Amino acid sequence: MAHSDSVNASVPSYLKEAQMIKQGAEARVYRGKFLGRSVIIKERFPKLYRHPEVDEKLTRRRTTQEVRSILRCRRAGINAPVVYFVDYTTHCIFLEDIIHSVTVKDHIASAQDLQTLADKIGETLAQMHDEDVIHGDLTTSNMLLVSGAEDQNMKLVLIDFGLSYISALPEDKGVDLYVLEKAFLSTHPKTETLFERLLKSYTASSKKSPAVIKKLDEVRLRGRKRSMVG
Amino acid sequence: MHLTQDLELFPEYTVIQLLFKDVKNATELRKMAVNGEIKGALINPSMVVDAFQILVAANKAVHLHKNGKMKTRSLYSEIIFNLSPTNNVSDIFHYRNTAEIFICLQCAVLTEFNVWQISEAFKRFGISDSDSAVLIVLVHNKDETLSVDDIISKVDGQQVAVDRVSDFTDVAKIKKACLFSHSTDEEQFRVSRFFAFV
Repeated sequence: MAHSDSVNASVPSYLKEAQMIKQGAEARVYRGKFLGRSVIIKERFPKLYRHPEVDEKLTRRRTTQEVRSILRCRRAGINAPVVYFVDYTTHCIFLEDIIHSVTVKDHIASAQDLQTLADKIGETLAQMHDEDVIHGDLTTSNMLLVSGAEDQNMKLVLIDFGLSYISALPEDKGVDLYVLEKAFLSTHPKTETLFERLLKSYTASSKKSPAVIKKLDEVRLRGRKRSMVG
Repeated sequence: MHLTQDLELFPEYTVIQLLFKDVKNATELRKMAVNGEIKGALINPSMVVDAFQILVAANKAVHLHKNGKMKTRSLYSEIIFNLSPTNNVSDIFHYRNTAEIFICLQCAVLTEFNVWQISEAFKRFGISDSDSAVLIVLVHNKDETLSVDDIISKVDGQQVAVDRVSDFTDVAKIKKACLFSHSTDEEQFRVSRFFAFV
């Protein structure tokens, strides 16, 4: 018992020293120093309200799905944080801390010319969906713009793959885009044309877009406060 | 000249890296690593993009070692194994769950598949008798004594600063080994890309 405690104590004791930046229902997010670099640590803590075996299986599955999605994106050339280390015993993911960046949400609020941004987002999402990666929580707060690179050399980084999974279904991709659309239009008023441009860029960049856009239109007709007459 | 880094998660361990060029006794060094005279991992620097990559591999190796979940027999062979992107066998072993290929799961059973992977890792990342550059990685437990000079004296070569490891990087060889599906320009092919596999 004592031995296993000391073996597994390394990550939790490390986390005690690290700075917690957010606590959600699913996980806690910390910022710390790892191997000389600034990192973000995502800890999926044990949920005591669940049956322990179920909790372990579920948490492990969620962690591996998240890491798998990030790695898959990175292999395809999409910008996502580098995964430095994953501890499967404590379900902690050590990710690159993207410093000197601003969320797309903040950027839209302050900047003027957003056409290239819309193009870039559409392009990036097309690439991601072509890799069959579904982000699951596409919002403007989950996209970062690295400062320094502007306009043509814009660097867009996708973060928070906590709800992501692998799927080839156009339905899932359509829903992914729908989530973005809802988040986009509710956070940034009067940006319908901007989103249109985003979708155009997506359609142009993706090889499988027609099916996805068709599904997106179908999904739009569903949802809350929509009449299913037809 | 050598690079030292404490492992934040395992405070009693320090990782020390030493880089040598114009090495004339690679065969001898390999023998010394095998019989334990040199307690370290001997790595081929042409497959290394940045010293950080070694730290990440070492960190994972120490973690698995402490949890008793290493795939290889020693900490040093584990470091070499961790450098290898294991997904390169996905073409051959299609039946295998892609999850296991992307992520090194805690599988204690050493299957035939794993043995193949480990020997591949050594072939690619370990040094061969004809190599003239060697990167030595030591994982030092603070409770034990370690003489870095002792190790340096065993190498018949010239020591250089570890941050010059990129002088030895063979990008084409690495690309081939890792089978990147998308060929991006050299600028994009940086350390961060390589870490897709660690």
